Amino acid sequence: MVKNITIFTTNTCGYCQMVKKYLGAKGMTYEEVNLDEHPHRQAEALQMSGAMTVPVTVVTKTDDSQEIIVGYNLAKLAPAVA
Amino acid sequence: MSDEPKTPQHDVIVVGAGPAALTAAIYTTREDIDTLLFERAVIGGLAAATDKIDNYPGFPDGVEGLVLSDQLRKQAERFGAVIELGEVTAIRDEGELKRLETTSGDMLARAVLIATGSDYKKIGVPGEQDFYARGVHYCATCDGAFYRDKRLVVVGGGNSAFQETIFLTRFASHIDLLVRSTVRASDVLQAELQEFVKAGKVTIHLATTTDEIVGENNAVTKVVGTHDGQKVEFPTDGVFVFVGLMPNSQFVKDTLDLDTIGFIKTDQSLQTSLPGVFAAGDIRSGATMQIASAAGEGATVALKLREYLEGRSHPPQN
Repeated sequence: MVKNITIFTTNTCGYCQMVKKYLGAKGMTYEEVNLDEHPHRQAEALQMSGAMTVPVTVVTKTDDSQEIIVGYNLAKLAPAVA
Repeated sequence: MSDEPKTPQHDVIVVGAGPAALTAAIYTTREDIDTLLFERAVIGGLAAATDKIDNYPGFPDGVEGLVLSDQLRKQAERFGAVIELGEVTAIRDEGELKRLETTSGDMLARAVLIATGSDYKKIGVPGEQDFYARGVHYCATCDGAFYRDKRLVVVGGGNSAFQETIFLTRFASHIDLLVRSTVRASDVLQAELQEFVKAGKVTIHLATTTDEIVGENNAVTKVVGTHDGQKVEFPTDGVFVFVGLMPNSQFVKDTLDLDTIGFIKTDQSLQTSLPGVFAAGDIRSGATMQIASAAGEGATVALKLREYLEGRSHPPQN
């Protein structure tokens, strides 16, 4: 079960829009961390994902385990939020 | 009667949701042709990943790629187009109907439009794969923000390389642009980039190959290349690659006739080697790789789809 979802995004990233659109279509709420507005949180995104890219979606489960999905990857995102 | 769920069927299934696909959907749905689009990545395709589009008609001050894509999507949806997020993995010919194997299960269509476009090509040098997304990138609008006040190398000499270099100047302290042979970007983009060259923000290196991407401790540190027979090195924090396009046609490589690069061959009606399956936009062999052209092909192929469907108004039931 999903406890909460955080998405690291930027203003110009089309793939970020797609993650938000997908979660929105499923009626799921999420916290968005816009790295253009909060550049000091880039290191956090990098540390969690190991990648210098967005979107990074952090799905925290009710047992506090986390799944981290780099990019717009439906094959990983869909089961992670199911 | 069978308890098997009936396979969903549509008049037209469009594979992709870029400018060609969305324009075709605007035309087909406006004529009440039941149309479903499948998009595996971003609605708007590569156009959505482009910071600013200056050569699409109707926008005198240019338009952001994301904005144009969203407008096209809204216009298609206004007439009833449905966009499903998922991937088509194969197309099978069943005569009057085509069976599409998708990540949402099988679907049937009376006609299919393939408008899957292209993705940026890789250069295939040592280090490129090792540092993928950790110093080597193919999407400036996605990853540029990670390089505030850092040095960058951009590889490529065409419109995309110049356009994305201009975008990356928002973030980078300096950019070395490595052009393998000569510049192929438009005069307008060259003139725009020259402003940044004059300001000392960008240096263009012509006739310079990219031979290796080198790093240590999980980070890119330099690009090694060759100029005039001599080894040259460019210290950098990251590399952005824009060296041409690779067609997204793997899922039909055994079904349709492709050219030597992998683009889909079509006839004058934009129909492929399989009757009832059409192709438009960047995926089509001979395409001009322009957003305006893709939109134009979308309109053309929609009319051809209608003609095809009218010629087969009573397909056999599944």
